[in-house]
Amino acid sequence: MKTLRLIILLTVTALCSCEETVTGDITLTTIERLVIEGGIERNRNNPGAIQSVKLSTTINYLSQDSSPGVTDATVTVTDGTTTWEFIHTGNGLYSNSELIPELNTVYTITIIWRGETYTGNDTLNEVAVFDNFYFEFEEETLFTDEGYFLKFDSTDPAAIENYYYYRVFKNGIYTIVPDPGNSETLIVSDEFFDGQQRFGINPNEEVSFTVNDIATAQQLGISQKYFEYLYQVFEQTGNQGVSFTGNPPPASIRSNVINVTTPSNRPLGFFYAADIEEQSIQITE
Amino acid sequence: MARLLLLLIIFVADSIYAQEKKVISGYITDAKSGEKLFGVSIFDSKGNTTTTNEYGYFSLPVEGETTQITISYTGYKNIVKEITGNNLRLDVALEQAVEELAEVVVTKKRNTVQSSEIGTATLKASVIKKLPAILGEPDVLKTIQLLPGVSSVNEASSGFNVRGGSADQNLVLLDDATIYNASHLFGFFSVFNPDAIKDVKLYKGGIPAYYGGRLSSVLDVRQKEGNKKEFNGEAGIGLISSRVLVEGPFAKRDSADARGSYMVAARRSYIDAFTFIDDEFKDTRLYFYDLNLKTNYELNAKNNLYLSGYFGRDRFKLPGLIGTTWGNATGTLRWTSILSDKLFLQTSAVYSNYDYELDNLRSGSEYTWKSRISNFNIKPRLTWYYNNDVTARAGLDILYYVFSPGEISPLNNSSVNSQTFSKKYSLENGAYVDTEYKISDKLLIQPGLRFSNFSRLGRETINQYNNGMPIFYNPVQDVYEENEVISGRNYKRGEIISRFNNLEPRLSFRYLLNENSSVKAGYNRMYQYIHLVTNTTSPTPLDVWTPSGPYIKPQSADQVGIGYYRSFLNNAYELSVESYYKRLYNVTDFKEGADLLFREDIETQLIQGTGRAYGVEVLLNKYEGNFTGWISYTLSKSETKITGINNSRYYPNNADQLHRLNIVGMYKLGERWEFGGIFSLSTGRPVTYPTGRYEQNGLVVADYNSRNGSRLPTYHRLDLSATLNPKPGSGKTGKWIFSLVNVYNRQNASSIYFREVSEVNDVEVATGRTEAVKLSFFGIVPSVTYEFKF
Repeated sequence: MKTLRLIILLTVTALCSCEETVTGDITLTTIERLVIEGGIERNRNNPGAIQSVKLSTTINYLSQDSSPGVTDATVTVTDGTTTWEFIHTGNGLYSNSELIPELNTVYTITIIWRGETYTGNDTLNEVAVFDNFYFEFEEETLFTDEGYFLKFDSTDPAAIENYYYYRVFKNGIYTIVPDPGNSETLIVSDEFFDGQQRFGINPNEEVSFTVNDIATAQQLGISQKYFEYLYQVFEQTGNQGVSFTGNPPPASIRSNVINVTTPSNRPLGFFYAADIEEQSIQITE
Repeated sequence: MARLLLLLIIFVADSIYAQEKKVISGYITDAKSGEKLFGVSIFDSKGNTTTTNEYGYFSLPVEGETTQITISYTGYKNIVKEITGNNLRLDVALEQAVEELAEVVVTKKRNTVQSSEIGTATLKASVIKKLPAILGEPDVLKTIQLLPGVSSVNEASSGFNVRGGSADQNLVLLDDATIYNASHLFGFFSVFNPDAIKDVKLYKGGIPAYYGGRLSSVLDVRQKEGNKKEFNGEAGIGLISSRVLVEGPFAKRDSADARGSYMVAARRSYIDAFTFIDDEFKDTRLYFYDLNLKTNYELNAKNNLYLSGYFGRDRFKLPGLIGTTWGNATGTLRWTSILSDKLFLQTSAVYSNYDYELDNLRSGSEYTWKSRISNFNIKPRLTWYYNNDVTARAGLDILYYVFSPGEISPLNNSSVNSQTFSKKYSLENGAYVDTEYKISDKLLIQPGLRFSNFSRLGRETINQYNNGMPIFYNPVQDVYEENEVISGRNYKRGEIISRFNNLEPRLSFRYLLNENSSVKAGYNRMYQYIHLVTNTTSPTPLDVWTPSGPYIKPQSADQVGIGYYRSFLNNAYELSVESYYKRLYNVTDFKEGADLLFREDIETQLIQGTGRAYGVEVLLNKYEGNFTGWISYTLSKSETKITGINNSRYYPNNADQLHRLNIVGMYKLGERWEFGGIFSLSTGRPVTYPTGRYEQNGLVVADYNSRNGSRLPTYHRLDLSATLNPKPGSGKTGKWIFSLVNVYNRQNASSIYFREVSEVNDVEVATGRTEAVKLSFFGIVPSVTYEFKF
């Protein structure tokens, strides 16, 4: 959390608590693994969307290149009765336009690459709608600059475990910041508000808007497994290295996809299924 | 066990006959303050010797009509008394030596070479206060890290690691009460106000049978009792906190010391006083405070009562975002009674509590989260000074715990639902016998046996898992998987859910090679029934303690140690070399990707494994002269093995440091100046570096393969301090303490971490670029503190 950096700041104001980039002094080894990114998205507001999954491989952590796409894999997705083939459309992206996602369905992906078979699945759960969708101007605080922020109200369905994930788009462009707060704001479980209506929730506290921006937010209904996966991703990417928040011994974040042929050569990333509530609004004064 | 009983029976039988000796016993106190002194040597001309216990009491059987008794304690004038007659009570007040030259660091030389103790060290508060300190805050826990075998994961950690053990394996006692979290300000400082502390004793090995419940060490911190002669006030003004202490007598008598005395100390930090510098910091809170109290009252010549307490809190709040408060509260009532000149009974009734609160202050989802652990503890102990050769201790240690893992409630009418995690109850009983037996002039043995019994009690509903286990290891996928909960089993109030019975043998012996040197060896087995659940390397306020039970086994450890002790150059120097080997069983760790916050089924996140630690510790002490100090060096390994982590092989744990060197010096220049210096050098601690990067949801994610596979750079630092004392005889009491920490401004890495660059031209954004960043907590830190008496 940025909060925790601030604690340091306050605690040791008199001290020089220094961060220094030491990228050049560190040599890292790399173990190459297959990476899966993507899933089945049932967008209520945009039903006919193309489904796609991206495949790539890991590279050295301090490399400044982007991960190379895997272009020679065979990718299929099945709901148990129908199987759809995902076709490579370039740069490691595999797509299918015929799959119409349905609620309460388990989708299973199978990837065959370099003679090894990978498989994993996720369940598509229904998401709650936005009861209200609006924006508010907020003054500058310790952690955020002033600006317009998205807000929504939403009612959690009672007696069902729900897991939510929020995505925000600025003028149509997906926007995210690696921030310690992500694990608390971008994903949330209804453990403590089951069946309640929540008000004035900000889907991403790090993303502010200016007048005339088109602001879009998605509320995704995700599985518990994907929630737990994202929690680890946000914890790790948000960790600012402050020892009392973390440095839990960092660990590989386990995928829901496994390598059936050679289990130890396990892949990374996640194949998810999500139901999406989406709304957009233009920011005005 | 049988042999011990036999020994006891022999003592009893023997005592009926052995009446021709006489016994001199009594209390040794400080002449100025009337405080009882611990560890004072009392010996006669025939070589009979003893030391005072922690209540200043001694009992020395002697032979002959007339005996010459010498009472000796470093820093004090020796007293020689002629004793004639029978069974004499001898209460002696020792006067401090005019020049406070000989501040002893490790217990007085006569003890170290001659006692049966192995792997122990004592520090006096006066030494702690003379050494350089970060921001001028002298700190008990930072100072003990200058001793061999003690370390910490970084500077911002008040948790400490003893011989490679984790921070929760230390039993930290303040006047017999357990302190569950000894940190202030997220670990930069410890809860022990140096003004209120008398001395500190650390047991790293050879732990006597009267301590139990933790695997690695016992840190026994004792508060000052209060001046029995006169009212006395002390205050210190530092950069980040101020302290005040008052002490004095009550129930005064004309001829002798007062019947009672008290000590009250308080400390408050004021870092947040500077929040006015920026309006943004308005309503931000960041402070801690401590209150220490101790009173004692002499009921009569044989009975004393002590009441002590501690209360401390930290408060931290960022409006609109987060708030937290945490602290310990303890209370101890002790009664000591001299039943006869050979029997000393002490009984403590203790309450201790640790709780924290975490407030989420984000609008729309405000809530407060509370968690608590508290215990009640009764521990009677009888010490029997049977004769010159045998001292026996026996006692009970009864501990009742209440764990309240968590309670959530809404704030500001937010839509958060209230919820309370079920409480857990446990009873931990110990019964022990510990004997010190002088077999010959050269050989002294200290056998002991502790029987411990731990019961997890209802009322509680225990999850029943498929296959009977909350998690299992899937070797094909190399991952831990959770089992389904199939039902809940209800236990009634007081009903036993799980029970563990264990024997903990302890043994140490000393063999005197000659007047100035000895060898010692020790063995101890320890059991630990409560486990700290935290996913960080150092204690945080968000610690949750959880008891052993159906799914979490007690941890245990076996340790053997051997040491060589020698004093030379007329006892001005002392050298000790100790070596140890430890095996640890069922040590707790977390499965990869464990999520511990707000978790009721904590058993699904914990895994247990084995550990081993071994090393050599060297300590060279100089006690006398204007220049005193010590050099300590530790060569050690500390490793853990857990199924499913690092291919189920041994890997270095967080406390593993091959080399650790500390040089500590204190120099007295003239009448007014004293200087202190510390140089520390150690191997960097183990860290885990990434073995790959990939993208997920627009963020760069790191992949890891082997835990603790890399190391931070070597750590080294030099600290200096200078104390300007008032001119002797001037009547002034003001004292200036200047401290310069990290003199040559080395940016020691407290961690190196890897992240995606998330800022471009002051705008926060995911960039896809990565960097390695070194975090150092501080560079050069000057500070000044002013202390005065009133």
